[in-house]
Amino acid sequence: MKRLLQAVLVLLLVSLALFVMLRIVPGNPVAVLMGEHANEATIERLTAELGLDQPIHVQFFRYLGGAIRGDFGTSYSLGKPVSQLMGAAFVNTLLLALAAALFAWIVGGLCGLLAAIRKNSIPDRLFMGFSLLGISMPVFMVAMILQYVFGYWLHWLPISGVSDWRSFILPAIALGWNSAGSIARLVRSTLADTLEDDYIDTARAKGLSETAVIWRHALRNTMLPTVTMMALQLSGLLSGAVITETIFSINGIGRLAVQAINGRDIPLLQGTVLFATALVIFGNLIADLLYKVLDPRTRREVKE
Amino acid sequence: MTKRYRLLSFAALVLAAVMLCGCFAGADEEKGLLRTAIKYDITTMDVAKTTDDYMIPMNVFDRLFETRVQDGNAVVVPSLCTEYKVSEDGLTYEFTLMDGVVFSNGNALTASDVQYSFERLLILANQNTDIPLEVVGGQDVMDKKTETLEGFKVADDTHFTITLSAPNAGFLAELSSPAMSIVDKESMTDGFGTDPAAMIGTGPYIVTERVANDHYTMVYNEKYRGPEPTVKKIIVKVIEDANTQNLMFQNGELDMIDLKNQDSAIIQSVYKTQYADRMVSAPNVGMIFIALNENNEFLKDVNVRKAIGAAIDVDTIITALYNGDAIRENGIIPTGVWGHNDNLQGFTYDPEAAKKLLADAGYTDGQISFEIAVDNALPSTVKTAAEYISQSLNKVGFNTTVKNYDHAAYLDVRRSGAMDSFVASWGMDYNDPANIMVTFFGSEANVKARSLNYPDTAIIARVAAAPAIVDDEARKAEYQALEQKIISEDAAWIPLYASMHLWCRGPRVASFTPQWAGFTDFYVTDVVLND
Repeated sequence: MKRLLQAVLVLLLVSLALFVMLRIVPGNPVAVLMGEHANEATIERLTAELGLDQPIHVQFFRYLGGAIRGDFGTSYSLGKPVSQLMGAAFVNTLLLALAAALFAWIVGGLCGLLAAIRKNSIPDRLFMGFSLLGISMPVFMVAMILQYVFGYWLHWLPISGVSDWRSFILPAIALGWNSAGSIARLVRSTLADTLEDDYIDTARAKGLSETAVIWRHALRNTMLPTVTMMALQLSGLLSGAVITETIFSINGIGRLAVQAINGRDIPLLQGTVLFATALVIFGNLIADLLYKVLDPRTRREVKE
Repeated sequence: MTKRYRLLSFAALVLAAVMLCGCFAGADEEKGLLRTAIKYDITTMDVAKTTDDYMIPMNVFDRLFETRVQDGNAVVVPSLCTEYKVSEDGLTYEFTLMDGVVFSNGNALTASDVQYSFERLLILANQNTDIPLEVVGGQDVMDKKTETLEGFKVADDTHFTITLSAPNAGFLAELSSPAMSIVDKESMTDGFGTDPAAMIGTGPYIVTERVANDHYTMVYNEKYRGPEPTVKKIIVKVIEDANTQNLMFQNGELDMIDLKNQDSAIIQSVYKTQYADRMVSAPNVGMIFIALNENNEFLKDVNVRKAIGAAIDVDTIITALYNGDAIRENGIIPTGVWGHNDNLQGFTYDPEAAKKLLADAGYTDGQISFEIAVDNALPSTVKTAAEYISQSLNKVGFNTTVKNYDHAAYLDVRRSGAMDSFVASWGMDYNDPANIMVTFFGSEANVKARSLNYPDTAIIARVAAAPAIVDDEARKAEYQALEQKIISEDAAWIPLYASMHLWCRGPRVASFTPQWAGFTDFYVTDVVLND
C-alpha cells in the first residue's frame, strides 16, 4: 500500500513538473499547429479554444481531472484522443520490448553462463568480448548493421515497418543488444564468484554432478541481481525504444513522444511521458516483488 | 540423436523458416501498386487545416483549375471548370462547371459544392483562409456574422459567379492551389480530415486506410472522369530515418524515393552513379534567403546589408553543398514563377567590396555583432549553408553566430519581429508573384514577422496594391520595379538559391513528372508504371 501511494505521488509530481516545464519553454503550440500562414487573430482564437489562455493552475487541474478518468486530452497534431493513440502504439512497444528482453535474457544469460563455467578459457574471452561489444555499440549502429546485413544484403527480414512477427526480429535484436551485453557480464561475474564459494565445494563433495551443482545451487544465488537488472531493463526497454522505433519505423510510444516534442503537442507529450514514468515505477515494483520471491531473507526482514 | 544435435537441428529449422519467409516476401507484388515514403506523418487530411500535407488533397480532390507543367512551363489549366469570363474591372468571374462530374460516393458535383468549399475554409477559420477572404463578404463569414459568402452567387448547378473585393490578376492561379480543393457538401461529416471514409472527392483516388505514424493507402476512384492511371493503388509509408528509406528503395521495398532528406554524399555516390538513368529532378520553385532586421542597430544601415550581400559566395554553396543541384536566385520572385526577372542584378560576391562598405560606414573589425537564426526543422544542408554564411561574414569583419531554434521557438521569436536575422526557405503555393511578394512585403504584420521590419511604408502599400493591376505587362513591370527597390537599392532581403528537388524511380516506374513547384507531394496520375 505504501509503495502504491509512493507511486501515485511520483506520478503526480512528474505530471506537475512536466506541465509547468512545457509552459515555460518558449514556443506557442498553437503557432506550430497553424504553421507558417497563421495570423495573430487565428492564433489567439485557437489558443482560447484549446484553453491555453487559462491560468496554469486551472489548466493543470482540468488536465488532472481528465487524466484520473483516463482522458488525456486530444492530440493537437494528430487530432485523436491521446489514450487511443497511446493504446495503439503501446501494443507495438510492448511486443518490441518483450522480444528485446527475451533476446537479451536468453543470449546474455547463456553467454554469461558459458563464460563463467569455462572461466579464463577461449570461449570466456570470446563471450566477454562479445558482451563488451554489446555494451559499447550504440543502438543506431547495431540497427543499421542489422538492416544492412539481414534486410538489404541477405533479404531475409524486412528492413522496417510492422507487417508480421518477422518485422520484430531485427528491432528486437537491436534494442536488446545492449542489455544482452550487460546481462552476460553480470551473470558471468556473479556465477564465477558463486562457483568458488564453500557451499559449492560441499555440494561437489557430496557427489553431485557439475550440472546439478550449477543449476540447483549456483544459479539460484546468481538470479538475485540478474532478475533485478532484468526487471529494470524491461521498464527501460518499454520506455526507451525511441531510436529503435524511429529507425525501424515502428509506431510505438517512443516515436509518438518524439513527434509530440517536435510538434509541441502538449497533451500527447504529457501522455507519453507519464506513461513512461508509470512503466519505470511498475518495473521497480516488479523487481522488488521478484526479489522477495527469490530471496526469503528479504521477506523475513520485512516481517521483523 | 543427442540433445545437442536436436537443439542444433531445431535452430537450423528456425533459421531456414526465417530465410524462406524472407524469400517469398517479395513475390506478392501487386500489379499497379506504387510504394513510396514520407519522413513525417501527415497531421490531417483536411486541406482547411494544413499548408503542408497536400498529397491527399491533390489526389482525392479536384480544383476549378490546376497548375501543370506543359513544355517545361507551369501553366494554369481548367480542371472542374470548363469556361470562365472576367469582367472588365477584374472583379467578377463567371464560371461554368464541367457536366457529369460525380464524387466518389456517386453524388453529382454542383456549384453549391464549390460555394460550400469556399465558405467552409472561412467558417473553420483555420489555415488557408487567404484566398476565399478575397471574395466579397469573406471577412463577415470568418467573423461568424454570416455563413453565406455574399460574393458567391450560384445561378444553377453548373454556373456561378464570384465577386472579389479588389481585382486580383492572380486569382485563377490561386484557385489552382491545393487549398481550394472542392469537397462534397452533402456527405460532409465531423470525421472529415481524420476518417478515410469521410474523404469524398472527385479526384482520381480514394483514401482507404490511414494508420497514424505508419502509412496511408489510396486506391483508384472508379468514378473518376479522367483517363485511368497506371497506378491503381499507392501506399505511402512513414519512414523517418533517411538511411532506412535508402535501404528500402535499394531493396525494392519502395518504388520511388524522395531524396530531399538524403545526405548529399549518398546522393552523389549511390544515386547519381548506380541509378543515374532513373533520377528525376525539378526545381523547388521558391528560394533560400536571408532576412535582415531593420530595427537592429547595425542592420538598419543599408551599407551593412549590402556588405552582407557582397560577402556571401552563393556559387560555392551551390557547388560544395549541393553538388551543383541548385540555381542562384537574384530577386524575390523565384525562377519559374510568372513575373520572374532574369535580368535583375543581384549581389556580386566581392569580399573586398564588403570590407570597404563596412569601413566606409565607420565600423571596425568585429564591431557588428548579430545572430543568424535557423529553424531546426530545415534540411541539414540549409543549416550547413547557414554556418558557411556565418563564417563568410566573419571573414570580412562581422561577428556572427548561428543559433538553431526548435520549430516552435523559432516561429514564436520570428513572429515577434525580434530576430536579428534568419536563414529560411519559401516554396511557392501558386504561380503568382503575390504569393511571395505580399507574404513578405505586403502588409505591416507580414513585414514584421516575415521580412523583419522593412520600414518603407510606400513600398509596402505598392506591394499590397500590385495584385489588383489587371494588365499583365503593367503588373509585371510593377513587380520588377519593386524588386529592384527592395533588393538592389535597399538590400532588405538577401536572395541565395533554389535547390533542385531530386527523386529516384525504381525499376517498376516508367516515368514521373513532379508537381510544378517541386513539392514533395505529387499527382499520382503523373507516375506511369511499367506493369
